[in-house]
Amino acid sequence: MADFLSNYSIQKWLESCPQGYLEDTVYGHGADEREPEELLKNEQFREAQIRTTVQLIAGERCALAASSGLINAAPDAASKTFLATQTLDEGRHVEIFTQRLFDLGIAQDDLESTIKTYINPNLGKFAEVLLEKVDKKDFVAGVVGQNIVLEGMAFSVFEMLHATSSDMNPKFAHTLAGTIADERRHVGFGENRIGELIRRYPEKKPEIERMQRDMTKHMLATFHDSFAASPLAAASPSVAPGARKSAGTYQGLNLAEASNEEMEGALSSVVLNEFKTRLGRIGLEYQSPV
Amino acid sequence: MTDPLETERPVQERKPRRSFELEETGFNEVPKRFRKFYRRWRGPGDTLGPNEALCPVCKVVIRSVKELRAGDRVYCMPCMSRLELVEEDGMLLAKVIY
Repeated sequence: MADFLSNYSIQKWLESCPQGYLEDTVYGHGADEREPEELLKNEQFREAQIRTTVQLIAGERCALAASSGLINAAPDAASKTFLATQTLDEGRHVEIFTQRLFDLGIAQDDLESTIKTYINPNLGKFAEVLLEKVDKKDFVAGVVGQNIVLEGMAFSVFEMLHATSSDMNPKFAHTLAGTIADERRHVGFGENRIGELIRRYPEKKPEIERMQRDMTKHMLATFHDSFAASPLAAASPSVAPGARKSAGTYQGLNLAEASNEEMEGALSSVVLNEFKTRLGRIGLEYQSPV
Repeated sequence: MTDPLETERPVQERKPRRSFELEETGFNEVPKRFRKFYRRWRGPGDTLGPNEALCPVCKVVIRSVKELRAGDRVYCMPCMSRLELVEEDGMLLAKVIY
């Protein structure tokens, strides 16, 4: 175990991340990459992008609060070190998605009011459930909530957004590729560290499963509201107007023809299946919110 | 007397493993010296080679210079998971070692 935990080092993070896939990037993308002009000129599409980006910022702010809050609750130095690197990853995610709002034309002074206008209230409830565990310094529940439920959801959402933007918005796709690479480490830490700890503290299972059920309920409500509130953005979140016909596929769905309901169903199905599989591997039973 | 462990071992295990030349695949999520050992999973249409295993945690393909077989242990550097290969329904699957 000691050798395994030594993988959670700052040096390895430096070589993989800032000296690796983030080398030569500016706010997570190439210095010469820009939001598509057609998107910026169309107010309906621009607003849809702002709405989507606000949800990403809200999720990342929650992840930043959770990962930093869990450092002092971690039972060993290696986990503290890993969570320190994750805290910087999450801080970077908040920054790059905030920068995207500025790139979409939001003035710096209007940042907080824009977030307040567009944030989905269910996402706030989702965060509250997790941060309650973090505030209580409950490391095992906090890491399950943060690195398996929240990061598992983020991993799937980022992959969907990446699939829908890779052809038509390379700047956003590039930004997302870096966050997906970060999420790989985060979900890996969640499964590997908790997979071992949950065997040591099996009495914690019922409480953690309740937390997962509540977080799942708020997550599904967030998906539903997001796809219903912003029809154009929901099905094709990052492409320029007129570009949907050349958009790719996601989970077998043709993005040029998929309805919002189909997209919501596909994303929910992917995330829930991931939850079941990941929780099952570490000895927890997925709890349906229905 | 025959060693039972020897008789239970599949005949295939005694065959020499095939070797593979690994080329760069554009995967950049680990330090440069390790990049050729990984590639991105291209989704449902993708297939694994005899020297490849899919990490169930982060969905990255792990590549070896030798053919992989059940019982082998591999390491997924992008998500830092330790994996063991097992055979289920004739397929080679990677299971996480906690």
